[in-house]
Amino acid sequence: MARSDKREREAHVVGEATDFPEGSHRVVRVGRRQIGLFNIGGELYGLPNVCPHQTGPLCEGKPPLGTLVSRAENDWRFEWVHEGEVVVCPWHGLEYHVPTGQCLAYPNINLRRYEVVVEDDKVKVLI
Amino acid sequence: MTDTAARPRERKERLEDILVVDADVHVHESPGELIPYCEMPWRVALENIKDVQEFYLDIPGFSPGTTAYEAKFPSGQEGTRMVHNAEQMRRELDEIHVDIGILFPDHFLKIPVISQVEYAAALARAYNAWLLDKWCDPEKGLLGCVLACPQDPEDAAREIRKYTREPGMVGVFLPCAGLERLWGHKQYDPIYEAAQDAGLPVLLHSVTVIHPVFPFNTHGFETEFGRHICSHTFSMMANLVHMITTGVPVRYPNLRVAVTEAGISWVPFLMHKMDKEYVERRREVPFLEDKPSRYLKKMYFATQPVEEPENLGDLVKMLELYDGEDNTIFASDWPHHDFDHPSKVHQVPFTNEVRRKIFGENALRLFNIDPNGNRLNL
Repeated sequence: MARSDKREREAHVVGEATDFPEGSHRVVRVGRRQIGLFNIGGELYGLPNVCPHQTGPLCEGKPPLGTLVSRAENDWRFEWVHEGEVVVCPWHGLEYHVPTGQCLAYPNINLRRYEVVVEDDKVKVLI
Repeated sequence: MTDTAARPRERKERLEDILVVDADVHVHESPGELIPYCEMPWRVALENIKDVQEFYLDIPGFSPGTTAYEAKFPSGQEGTRMVHNAEQMRRELDEIHVDIGILFPDHFLKIPVISQVEYAAALARAYNAWLLDKWCDPEKGLLGCVLACPQDPEDAAREIRKYTREPGMVGVFLPCAGLERLWGHKQYDPIYEAAQDAGLPVLLHSVTVIHPVFPFNTHGFETEFGRHICSHTFSMMANLVHMITTGVPVRYPNLRVAVTEAGISWVPFLMHKMDKEYVERRREVPFLEDKPSRYLKKMYFATQPVEEPENLGDLVKMLELYDGEDNTIFASDWPHHDFDHPSKVHQVPFTNEVRRKIFGENALRLFNIDPNGNRLNL
């Protein structure tokens, strides 16, 4: 978070904590930004609602699901992993791991992650 | 030819300021929708399946699909986007800056795999009547293609002649998925003759099926990844090779031919490959008056699914390799899973002139319409 060291971030209230129950995801607006907020296992994560591929609304799709991986250390067997943590862009299906912002198809694509905090039952995005 | 790459000082025209003709958007036909338009006894069969569960382009007895063959994991992208009526289509095309949309079916992309000839022909007739009645409207910028049933070419020709003077019909759709005999076969001559007489272009469009005809005998693949590539691109290449090597463009010199949903990067390959064969095998195709690429370059190629090289300038070069500035047409494939937003093609560093041609002007010529969607040959 080198960026945050350089200047004071502003906390933007986007709703009550009860608006974001566990397992929920929704898109909020902060100024001109659209940010997808995900509550996964009680942790809140914020990702931009723009897919770098063709600018699709990547956080507006279905609730995060799991996905398939295949690794040498498991003899290349298919494994179902990241249950409830992978959001899929509804336009063309690119997958992103919400907690890390990592695109599963392209190692060089890592989404900006917005820090989300809860203070006095208010959900705030720090930008 | 003129320079297709953007000149440094030219101000790029905004997408909103360019006429966008979209050569491939999909309406959602269902058994229930077609019931009132379908003749007996086939109407009974449609009534019988009107409530069956539908998967993506997959309804038993209507459009046999690949759902049955493999594990169905939950996915965030199930391919369930559908457009159910003309108003919805107009609204959604407005959102992606499309002025005129050329309508293709959803399920009947795979009508060639229907084994009952009379059923397939009845479905095609019902679809054409329904499309004209419920969707085609030049004022809305929604224009249809007559579905030509390959199982019954004589009936398909009658259908084309029936709709020859309709302002809402601007083309003929040649379905390719699972096609038994490729579109160069002479059994289809009545279709080409009718289309040429009507001044309507023919448009080839494929889709994924697993079916025992080339190149759809894709059961060896374990993935849709593999099947999807072959079912679209290989099908187009196979059909165009067959059409040129049976002399379709020679026998029907005024017939305009277009290809959809196969991207464009294979066009230079096919051009050079055919020209190379021609050197040695001209006497197999003695009706050709020039090298095959000359005929290929007269055809039109729709962009979607447009290749996305890291350097978008590569697309400019690709187009130059087949002199594509006058015969490349934009298509989105809305609302399907692999649709292209026009902004992607808009990003390609073409000159403003070439960009205008690809987004609209070339398609106006292909469909012989004005910028308001009115046919010029009525």
